[in-house]
Amino acid sequence: MAVASVTHGAYAGVMSEEPDQLYVETRELRIQGFLLFMVSDLVLFSSFIFAYLYLRNSGQGWPAGGPKLDIALAAVNSIVLFGSGATMHFALENWKHRNFTKFANWIVMTIILGAGFLSGQVLEYIHIGARWSSGIFGASFYTLTGMHGLHVFAGIIYLTVLLLQAAQGKYTFTKYTGLTLGTLYWHFVDVIWVVLFSIFYLL
Amino acid sequence: MTAVAAHAGGGLADHIHPEPQGFIRKYVFSIDHKIIGIQYMITAFLFMILGGMLAELIRVQLMKASGGLMTPETYNEVYSVHGSTMVWLVIIPLLTGGFGNLIFPVQIGARDVAFPWLNMLSFWLFPPAGLMLYASFLMGAPTAGWTEYPPMSLNAYGAHDGTSMWAAAIFLIGVSSTMTGINFLVTILKMRAPGMTFTRMPLFVWGQFVTAPLLMIATTALGAALAALFVQRQFGVAFFDPTRGGSPLLWQHMFWFYSHPAVYIMILPAFGMISEILPTFSRKPIFGYKMIAFSSCAIAILGFMVWAHHMFTSGLAPALQLPFMVLTMLIAIPTGVKIFSWVTTLWGGVIHMTTAMLFAIGFLATFTLGGITGVFLAAVPFDLHAHGTYFIVAHLHYVLVGGSLMGILAGLFYWYPKMSGRLMNEKLGKWAFWLFFIGFNGTFLPMHWLGMWGQPRRVAVYDPQFQAWNQVASWFSFVMTAALILVLFNALWSMRNGKRSGPNPWNARTLEWQIPSPMPYYNFKHVPSVFAAPYDFAEPLPYRGLEEELT
Repeated sequence: MAVASVTHGAYAGVMSEEPDQLYVETRELRIQGFLLFMVSDLVLFSSFIFAYLYLRNSGQGWPAGGPKLDIALAAVNSIVLFGSGATMHFALENWKHRNFTKFANWIVMTIILGAGFLSGQVLEYIHIGARWSSGIFGASFYTLTGMHGLHVFAGIIYLTVLLLQAAQGKYTFTKYTGLTLGTLYWHFVDVIWVVLFSIFYLL
Repeated sequence: MTAVAAHAGGGLADHIHPEPQGFIRKYVFSIDHKIIGIQYMITAFLFMILGGMLAELIRVQLMKASGGLMTPETYNEVYSVHGSTMVWLVIIPLLTGGFGNLIFPVQIGARDVAFPWLNMLSFWLFPPAGLMLYASFLMGAPTAGWTEYPPMSLNAYGAHDGTSMWAAAIFLIGVSSTMTGINFLVTILKMRAPGMTFTRMPLFVWGQFVTAPLLMIATTALGAALAALFVQRQFGVAFFDPTRGGSPLLWQHMFWFYSHPAVYIMILPAFGMISEILPTFSRKPIFGYKMIAFSSCAIAILGFMVWAHHMFTSGLAPALQLPFMVLTMLIAIPTGVKIFSWVTTLWGGVIHMTTAMLFAIGFLATFTLGGITGVFLAAVPFDLHAHGTYFIVAHLHYVLVGGSLMGILAGLFYWYPKMSGRLMNEKLGKWAFWLFFIGFNGTFLPMHWLGMWGQPRRVAVYDPQFQAWNQVASWFSFVMTAALILVLFNALWSMRNGKRSGPNPWNARTLEWQIPSPMPYYNFKHVPSVFAAPYDFAEPLPYRGLEEELT
């Protein structure tokens, strides 16, 4: 069947005269896609958080008197991680103000703080001394904090790559979607830690 | 990303990126949503042949009450891998990666999905995952059914080593599904042609739009459950092992939180297909467009709140049983709205009995039966009686075969010209439909009363009093298999010998029919504008900017 071209009078004026214009910006797509990725990542964490709360409340085998957690160390560690969220924010703000040197300094600071957090986590693991396979505490604590630690580790690599790319001129001061996404990711990892800290150390 | 960056201004050459040349870039590692869709379909149909062979092994085993073909151990492997194959390697990939990829971007007037590279990656995770699932036979396939409940799925309780392979394979499929979900959702949210508002989207797009978040959210939850099972099995991490404080019930919660929404992943796109096919062959606007679209949303949202109805016999607190029962029954309302709208679409229409239409009407009949037994099973007292019997097997096959697969076959006959430029053979198609319809009902209808009489599912032998009806089911299952072979043969034969279809053999009104068949690399020479929903057969087509498409 030949397709009739539509010239129906009633519709005149409703239609755009310029149907060929670019109707979508890739920047918008990437940000939205990334946000959805974070939603699904959040579901992953939520599932394990549900598993932890379920196991803890099903009342078999949770360590008597509570597990041996070092809340002071974790508090310091949290401050280090939240600090890195602030430095990442400054890094992106400086990029927006077209100051590459300050951007680079702040992002290096972020990476150092992220590494500091990971070292703190290693100390905490040594302090606790339990194993992944030792009971439901090991299962839930090491799985959740381990997943979060992997996210921090991946974030450190991610930010390093972004820094190198920026140094090579991949981003301009007007087009820097990749840097926005990196910042979003880093804040996401921060927020996850707030939840993990609350449920393991404060609950 | 590059493929969506069509630039403004200039002539035709500016709009269309060069089509990749060479077999590998064009057909193997393609980033074109249409090729990827066809790749999904071919792979899924190949797995359907494997899963179908396993199904026939089951039916041959059950010809005799004493079994005899396989040991109970092997029988357990066979039905476990059959279920896993059909759910994860056949129906979900066909409906989302296959027909979804092929059709919905064109229906919204887009030139590709939002992230073509991610789309290619999604597909290429799928065949390796399927091969991993089948490789698990080498080390002893999973034996605890497609649901793999611990402690049955732990080695200390008799599971095989291949169960870990199963978990890894399904995890991989899950990652692929999640990426597809994100990709489709961004595409529908951001890449609709000018004027394509939400209430002008074809209903197949609505089906994909509602399914995408389910893929994204529910599948990730399944990924968590599978990862936990994997580390429990491989590293002794005590999530599910009751002897070490873990909880087998935790698995059931995590698994069904995914797998109930997964039921809707497997049916909502098929609803979308039916909503396209019925108006086209009734020559009537779809009845209740908005109600069909919104009821899909209602089903998707309710679908996240009903998972524990699979667990009525697992020791769920009585206080929780009532809300889960009521919420489950509520789903019958939006589903009933849909059935009503479809039947009313047919009412007074000029019905064209093509093969696609036959399958769509067959869908209405069998899916409604499966849906109604779902309402039975939502009732706790009935569920306590029927749980773990062949009644469940009948119910789930009525929705998954009589619903999803029937929809897939309708869609295959309907959209085949858009892939190949040719029509499938109608005469063979009608034979296949009647064989399929008779074979399907003959196989699964007796299972309702077998279940009510108490034949347990997932057991290699059974009480001799059930033998006659089991033989009936087995004989009819051969008819159904013959019908499916006929469909596949038809699809292969028609690739070369089918009648040329032209762009729009059905006089359908959605955008994919306004461009040549097979669809050109870049879909549209000019992105069209849309100014009404597509189903008003009395009006001229509601698009502008398509004048050059067929030249």
